[in-house]
Amino acid sequence: MSDQTPCHLRDRDDIVLRVLQLSVNFAVGKQTVQAVTDVSFDVARGETLGLVGESGCGKSTVGRAIMQLPPPTAGRVLFNSQDMTALSGEALRQTRTGLQMIFQDPISSLNPRRRVRDIIAEGLTIWGRDNASVRVDEVMAAVGLDAASAGDRRPHQFSGGQCQRICIARSLALDPDVLICDEPVSALDVSVQAQILNLLEDMKARYHLTMVFIAHNLAVVKNISDRVAVMYLGKLCEIGNTDAIYARPAHPYTRALLASIPDADPLAREQASIDNEPILQGELPSPADPPSGCRFRTRCPYAQARCADEVPQMQAVADDHHVACHFPVLTP
Amino acid sequence: MRSKLTDTGVVRSRAQGFSAAARQVFGRGFGPGFWVAAGWLVLVALCAVFADWLPVNDPLEPVIANRLNGPLTTNLLGADGLGRDILARLVHGSRVSVVIALSAVCIGMVIGGTLGVLAGYFRGHFERGLMAVLDVILAFPWLVLLLALVAFIGQSLMAISVAIGFLWIPAYARVARANTLSVVQREYVLAARAMGASTLRILLREVLPNVILPVLAYGLVAMGLVIIVESALAFLGLSVEAPQPTWGGMISEGKRHLATAVHVALVPSVTMFLTVLSLNYVGDRLRSRFDVRGSNL
Amino acid sequence: MSHAQTDTQPVLQVDELTVRLNSSQGLVHAVEGVSFALSRGQTLGIVGESGSGKSVMARSLMGLLPRRAVAFSAGSVMFQADQPPARDLLLMPEKQRRHLRGPAMAMIFQDPMTALNPVLRLSVQLTESVRQHVGLDRQQARIRAIELLGAVGIPDASRRIDQFPHQLSGGMRQRVVIAIALACNPSLLIADEPTTALDVTVQKQILDLLARLQREHDMAMILITHDLGVVASRADHIAVMYAGRVVEYAPAKTLFTAMKHPYTEALFNSIPRINDPSHTRLQAIPGRPPQLVEPAPGCAFAPRCQYAQPRCWQQTPPVVAVDGEDDHRHACFYPISETPAREDADV
Repeated sequence: MSDQTPCHLRDRDDIVLRVLQLSVNFAVGKQTVQAVTDVSFDVARGETLGLVGESGCGKSTVGRAIMQLPPPTAGRVLFNSQDMTALSGEALRQTRTGLQMIFQDPISSLNPRRRVRDIIAEGLTIWGRDNASVRVDEVMAAVGLDAASAGDRRPHQFSGGQCQRICIARSLALDPDVLICDEPVSALDVSVQAQILNLLEDMKARYHLTMVFIAHNLAVVKNISDRVAVMYLGKLCEIGNTDAIYARPAHPYTRALLASIPDADPLAREQASIDNEPILQGELPSPADPPSGCRFRTRCPYAQARCADEVPQMQAVADDHHVACHFPVLTP
Repeated sequence: MRSKLTDTGVVRSRAQGFSAAARQVFGRGFGPGFWVAAGWLVLVALCAVFADWLPVNDPLEPVIANRLNGPLTTNLLGADGLGRDILARLVHGSRVSVVIALSAVCIGMVIGGTLGVLAGYFRGHFERGLMAVLDVILAFPWLVLLLALVAFIGQSLMAISVAIGFLWIPAYARVARANTLSVVQREYVLAARAMGASTLRILLREVLPNVILPVLAYGLVAMGLVIIVESALAFLGLSVEAPQPTWGGMISEGKRHLATAVHVALVPSVTMFLTVLSLNYVGDRLRSRFDVRGSNL
Repeated sequence: MSHAQTDTQPVLQVDELTVRLNSSQGLVHAVEGVSFALSRGQTLGIVGESGSGKSVMARSLMGLLPRRAVAFSAGSVMFQADQPPARDLLLMPEKQRRHLRGPAMAMIFQDPMTALNPVLRLSVQLTESVRQHVGLDRQQARIRAIELLGAVGIPDASRRIDQFPHQLSGGMRQRVVIAIALACNPSLLIADEPTTALDVTVQKQILDLLARLQREHDMAMILITHDLGVVASRADHIAVMYAGRVVEYAPAKTLFTAMKHPYTEALFNSIPRINDPSHTRLQAIPGRPPQLVEPAPGCAFAPRCQYAQPRCWQQTPPVVAVDGEDDHRHACFYPISETPAREDADV
């Protein structure tokens, strides 16, 4: 590993996906919006990394930049040690099939003019795989769809939850290593969310998937993730083991997020220390003109002069728990 | 006996199932007006195709005795200033209208639609350049442009179709581009790219099927306008050369007799009015059905 | 949270409200026999998934359903703003109802962007209702509007008031929508998923703001949401809706400690809990929410209910009160605490 490798990246053999100093800029009119700045993380085989943050924090942009859709402005994406940012054309098309995505809006993710079977078989058809129809039957059964009755229908004849099952089946058909889920349950009804979350867990076990799970709902992310990365205004604030971060959030932003969750169980509020956390004031700054130093400083209750001058680097606060803050909140 | 009963039961339920499915695909929301309009268009199309075999008089043969006779006299729809049968001329004139409408719309749709889809998909310099050119064409006074084109390439049916079709390229390009822009934003396009689909495959499989229906529906509305444009040319004496009958030409001739025999201009005008109205109505209905945003996606 | 409902007439008394809507597929049984009462200073939380009828009910209370869409409505909605007598909104002519919207009852919606007119400055949208209903002149209305913006926590209100909606963030827009709703001091505020489109930190700000304003104005509030968490600590009573019916109605605390209806329980158990360790298996509800078009007889939840008995498929369970608790009602033949009875019924 080189000198500039951030300390929160792990030196392990089973890293499937490694994102290094990823930055994505968009041109909006004459301005440049820094959607993602210097984000690094890694995901080990069979692991689920939850990427959380509020709208505009760049979490979906990270997901798409991993897929090179579009390629990032700077940084590298290593998939099975292969640098995807260095690939183009045919090589990129080939490599990209090892990663698949599912999206927030299952209905907009399915071409309304095509039949379900053709949609799921699309990847297999493109690559001319043998036994495509056997594979389609198999993944449809795996996600709980009846291939015989559902295959010839079109997406609008299904409910949102079933459309998401179709999307999952499509993403599994090519037998990918990595599944990137971009808010896969936030458009679904509460009673259907649990079905899809359980299904994703089952599919992960059955097809040995590694997942990047992008969501804004902290409870959902906690349920499905082994590790969590928290983003704010295009930068990573905190990353580490899920249970550690939820039990002892060290970044003031993570603490504010956790304190804001309305708990469905009013009798089981045990995070007393977090309940006293001041609620966030002010507005999200413009990503076209982010604050100097720490990007959260304008809304941080603990901000000091140093936060404006110096960009905080990732530092370890516990085993597999890193935070980018000059003054992390440490609880025993 | 028993089995027979069951059989008819099955047949009936299948028929009901089919009609229910048909209603879902075609019926709901269209209403009787749509079918009347569509029926009229089919009639016009049939006249155009079978004009030579239909039991109507010779459209070119003047019968001086019948000059300016009104409808329901010697001739079903009357005769014109030279004593030619108006019904026969309408039937034969529909050929010109249908051929010009179809070919002009096809030219515009294929060229304009392709350009629009490409512009909407690739964006960037190509889109900006194309849109600038189209804006220039749109800003040009169309009648002057048309006169210049017809003067340049001649007055044949083919030449007029090409000239009018050229004028329609910007409109189709805009419709196709707008629909492409909204389709490209949908995640299924992203999903196809993630699966390694080539650009051509994405354009043909994911984009085109979702763009072509609204463009076709717009094409029907445009056909009505093409028929009017043709009649305007005929009025100026620049459409297909006489004595070949065209609806526009008939109206133009009829204007001389407006004071004495209204029907000479009125009958072709009403025919054209009904045809254009039907095209608009059918096109509009189809467009609202297939509109990317409006449809039940 | 005042509970002085014994001596005062409720602001809103809904009895057996039933609304059926026309659709291209047939008659939609959107709201079926919903009853509740709501006093000043109280909050009723209505929880339900999409298609549970919660939004149709809110709109019918406000009189905002398009007349052509309503095939049939029955029951009564007695509303009393300030002085008695209470009047039935369903029998009131549209002209009179229109005068109630704004000064007496107001509503805020899920999407703050579409609730504001994008081409009008905030000043115009804020002063519209005070000028129309209260009769303030231009200058007074503007001063009142700036006060309102300040009251909903918008900094620099005198400058913001001349901006357009797109110049504000989502949370700010929802604050403006709330300011508009409260401009004429309504007695009843209906908030239909007010925070669903907002981020979680903003959601907390908005919910806190609503709670504060409700206290200050002593309003009755109906808080509609799909998220049990939103109403858990903020409502006095909670009504759980499923397929157009209120399947359970209880004081908030009671609902979470002694839930009776299997749907309430299933909904509660299907939500991932922040305090559970990660990878806790969720108890998903099988199937999906029912269609409201020409519903089948029987309990609408029966196809998804793990306790369903033959009777549940044939008869619609009536709403009954739990013994000794008048304000805890449910619509289930086999409510949760009576597990043994369920097995008896099987024999």
